[in-house]
Amino acid sequence: MTELKDRVGEVIEASTTDFVAQAYELYQLPPLGSLVKTRDEPVELYGIVYHATTGSLEPGRRPIARGRDEVAEEEIYRSSPQLLKLLKSEFSALVVGHREGDKLYHYLPPKPARIHGFVYQCRPEEVREFSQSFDFLNILVNTRLPVSMEEVVAAVLRQMSQAHEDPHAFLVAAGKELAILLSGQFSQLKAILGRL
Amino acid sequence: MSLDLAKVAAQVGRMVTRLKDSRQERQERLQHALGVLGDEAFDLGALKEKIAASKTTWLVAGLVDRLAARYQASPTPAEFSVLAADGSHIDVDRHRSTRCYLINIGSVILRYGAEPDAILESFPQLYSDDEDLVIAHPGAKGREQPVEGALLGIKRAVEECRHLAQLAATQPPDSTSLALLDGSLILWGLEAYPEFVTEALLDRGFIRYLEEAKRLSSDRRLALASYISFPRSTDVVNVLRVAICPYQPADCDRNCPPGKARECDALAGVQDRELFLNLLEPGERSALFISPSKIVKHYGEHQVYFFYLRVDDEIARVEVPRWVAEDKDLLELTHALVLDQCRRGHGYPVALTEAHEQAVVTAADKEEFWQLVESLCLEEKLPIPTSAKSFSKRMRWV
Repeated sequence: MTELKDRVGEVIEASTTDFVAQAYELYQLPPLGSLVKTRDEPVELYGIVYHATTGSLEPGRRPIARGRDEVAEEEIYRSSPQLLKLLKSEFSALVVGHREGDKLYHYLPPKPARIHGFVYQCRPEEVREFSQSFDFLNILVNTRLPVSMEEVVAAVLRQMSQAHEDPHAFLVAAGKELAILLSGQFSQLKAILGRL
Repeated sequence: MSLDLAKVAAQVGRMVTRLKDSRQERQERLQHALGVLGDEAFDLGALKEKIAASKTTWLVAGLVDRLAARYQASPTPAEFSVLAADGSHIDVDRHRSTRCYLINIGSVILRYGAEPDAILESFPQLYSDDEDLVIAHPGAKGREQPVEGALLGIKRAVEECRHLAQLAATQPPDSTSLALLDGSLILWGLEAYPEFVTEALLDRGFIRYLEEAKRLSSDRRLALASYISFPRSTDVVNVLRVAICPYQPADCDRNCPPGKARECDALAGVQDRELFLNLLEPGERSALFISPSKIVKHYGEHQVYFFYLRVDDEIARVEVPRWVAEDKDLLELTHALVLDQCRRGHGYPVALTEAHEQAVVTAADKEEFWQLVESLCLEEKLPIPTSAKSFSKRMRWV
């Protein structure tokens, strides 16, 4: 079951292939490669965090350097408490599957996420269940992302392996799957395996 | 067609040449003014009496202490909050079918100390009822003043003060805070309107909220002030004019008819801020003065005092009501916290910057607002006639 404490943000942009969510707390972002989900009843959409940014809430107001006379970074936020309200952290998630009822699908759902849909970090048992199948890797490998595919795939597998009892066995199985997916792209496969 | 800058360039050139030529003379006048200001031989009591007896064509600040007095800021308290309210508005557009206006108030609470925090909010309010659109004379039927243009600006200032008093009320007893407004505490624009308008907006509006703040200050350390950046006032220079006037008392109309050379013209064109930029060191405040505007008779115990404050290379005018001016602790708190806010905000109080950011209504916002009004009217099948002038401005054709 998902709980309030698993809630990490809210969808502010959505398309068939991905969604962007604003984190509720500045800098409180789900890690790169982690599995998150959002609901559009009766469907739950699963996404993999592939990118995150922190910046000004308003496009026209850029942050400026403030710490010249401060001893520690925290002092900047202490002496300008408004900063926490004027900055925002956002993360983007690639949709890699969905759940309807009890059935889990490792391909795109019929509709994109809803704007203002709550985004939850998936718990280990859910990550374990989702990663029983490696079919989602196909979407990751074949999508053009602002971050290199090798980085994201390796991050996903590292994250997911932590939810398994035997992380090593999980990574070996994933490596075999990747060897098939990237059979003609040896350098990419090598780059991923080197990051696990 | 946009502005043809090529045609303006020559005129700008002539203006700059003129400014350059007059620079030397202005500098001499400023030096003269500084000499008068620093003249310790002045008897403050006698000068006060002379000011009281004089009839001048310009407004002269009231004196409280030595003209050239200067004070350093006291340290800021360990725990304090700064509250600010600022507003912006969408004016009545007589070319639109719907008569209404909107005031958007931005409000800010910044808490400093062990548990720093910030609350930034905006409160848009639409006004379209008959009693909102005009200020009516309570006794004489038919006498009314439409709330638009400059008067809407004044109504906005009243709303800013109302929100500021509300913010002050949220502060716990025994807390320390400064409530800040942008601009002047003196709603001098009301001088142009009939008395019943002043009574509605000032006596039953602005003053009432100042009163509320004063009441709140009884059980919490609360100061209230307004901040004027780059002021153009000459109230203190005018004191010097009276001081050097050879007539006792000064009476401009009787002694110096138009065309006659006047001794006090040796100080003409000098502004208070130039005077105090030379007198004050960074962080220091000037002596207190009493604002001389005609409208201040309405202010009673909230009579407006002011001091100049040097923030780095700028002089700001800080206005406070009498209950702050006469309380040494609140006055020093105002000085310390305004200065602290300016230092945190790169020269301008950070709370006012953020309140403004919350309040600001851009040209694009205005256009969207009117589109919303018109689309909702259309949904309800209400006719929305607009003027041909408005239409021609929006649909530009060749």
